[in-house]
Amino acid sequence: MPAQPDAPVLVATDVHRHFEGMRAVDGVSISVAAGKITGLIGPNGAGKSTFLAVVAGTLPASSGTILLDGKDITRLPAYARARRGLVRTFQLPSEFAQLTVLENLLVAAPNNRGDSLMGALLGRRYWMADERRLIEQARGLLKRFSMGAKESDYAGTMSGGQKRLIEIMRALMLRPRVLLLDEPMSGVHPSIVQEIQYYLQDLRREGLTILMVEHELHMVERLCDSVIVMAQGKVIGSGTMASLRRQREIVDAYLVG
Amino acid sequence: MNSYYAATLLVYAGVDIIACLAINLQFGISGIVNFSFIVFQAVGAYTAAVLSMPPDTANGGYQIYVGGFQLPFPIPWIGGALAGGLLAIPVGLVVLRKLRTDYQAIALLVLSVIANSVITNARPFLNGAAGIAQVPGPFSDQVDPLSQSYQLLYVGLTVPCVVLVWIVASRIVNSPYGRSLRAMREHELAASALGKNPVQLKMTIFIVGGVIGGLSGAILVGYITLWAPSVWLYPETIILFAAVIVGGRGNNVGAILGALLVPVGFEEATRLIPPVIFGWMPPPNLIPALQWVVIGLLIIGFLWFRPQGVRPEPRRVFEGAPVREDPQDARTA
Repeated sequence: MPAQPDAPVLVATDVHRHFEGMRAVDGVSISVAAGKITGLIGPNGAGKSTFLAVVAGTLPASSGTILLDGKDITRLPAYARARRGLVRTFQLPSEFAQLTVLENLLVAAPNNRGDSLMGALLGRRYWMADERRLIEQARGLLKRFSMGAKESDYAGTMSGGQKRLIEIMRALMLRPRVLLLDEPMSGVHPSIVQEIQYYLQDLRREGLTILMVEHELHMVERLCDSVIVMAQGKVIGSGTMASLRRQREIVDAYLVG
Repeated sequence: MNSYYAATLLVYAGVDIIACLAINLQFGISGIVNFSFIVFQAVGAYTAAVLSMPPDTANGGYQIYVGGFQLPFPIPWIGGALAGGLLAIPVGLVVLRKLRTDYQAIALLVLSVIANSVITNARPFLNGAAGIAQVPGPFSDQVDPLSQSYQLLYVGLTVPCVVLVWIVASRIVNSPYGRSLRAMREHELAASALGKNPVQLKMTIFIVGGVIGGLSGAILVGYITLWAPSVWLYPETIILFAAVIVGGRGNNVGAILGALLVPVGFEEATRLIPPVIFGWMPPPNLIPALQWVVIGLLIIGFLWFRPQGVRPEPRRVFEGAPVREDPQDARTA
């Protein structure tokens, strides 16, 4: 294997996740290179989403270690990992329905003095400066993702594709080190799929590291710098999409169905 | 309508407004279904009572209770509020950490029933079913509690508490912190994936609600001078929830409106029902029983036809927002 020029940001070693004897994730070791988009593919039930949830802390690992920037985060709960820059999105729409689109973004922003009981009780003047700064930041994102006109609409009234964008923008408000995307294109209209693809490429150009679970192989081929294939809870191969297509057993397991 | 009746209505309204603002913080904003709310009011009331009363050996020892410190105002009220907050800590730690929302509601409802029956049966603690009587209200040693000026004084003590709770509640609701609470209510998993600690958020607002609930009990007990298990049965919580649902979940003005419409207005209205209707005298318990039926219908009716309540949660439009095209949404408060 050639020397890896990009230092890995996220390293998972021998991660297991068992559900009452069912080995959903069975000894997965991966490393995610900085500034790249890494794809995670595999047939249904391969354990991709479970693995992503274990990495994000939504589900605790049964065993194994997860390092973010060399620091062990295996025992941290989800919110603490998010604060360290490991932010995930969900496979099913998970917008805050009764909050406006802009509020969905604002809620994710760290470093708001008004985002604590004490800060809130001290009143508007205490936190208004932070709020203004974050509104500006959020509006910048909304503009970039062409949703500026929707900022005052309830997020629950948005289309499936718009909800995806909200989720991605919300995650970006945290200025993440690594973005974990769980099937960002599922249930999204094809025209918005193109849009999301464009945005993700744009984010990579800016140096964001992305690990994404995705079903649509053409999408994976166009977007991902490297791809990890999972089946039955294990990693069965990794590399570029082109190199994976040449491996007989992977093609048999997944690529042709 | 004489001034005694007016004062009674105002104090009751104040207590119910305070309670509904607390329930709105917990349930309306944060999604915590605290079906044991009345227990926090009761703890505040009992605490304020035993802090302000003389030892139980006074008055010939016809009632027995712990404490009896004869402390002056405002210590009993502050103590009542603190007791509500203190109780919220163990309850919250047991109920809010692991259980799903629906099970939280059940556990809290059961807690309310258990607490009531324990206090009823453990007489040496707080005089059991008979409850504690002759609780001295604030300044009742200086002003005759039966005088008109005392009624005025009591209203004067209640109003600042209502204002204080209103300020606390509206600052929380309209802050970035309130936004985090609402986000947790909408989608807890997503909120935690964005760096919010849901257990901490829930515990904090549960304690804040406990403090406010305790204060409401302390205010009430000083006025009615009596507190017994029969006044804090679990259905009392349901009435307060009905008020918040009718008024508008997530809206403090709605919570106040609900407090005035349901526990105050509605219960007063049933007093106007004549004892003899067209020559028919209903059995003595019929009207109170029908009250419960109507409360139930009120909740169902609102959840069915107007779940957002009379004053819905306002949609937050920020300064400098682009004007929206569709005017169909008139829900901005």
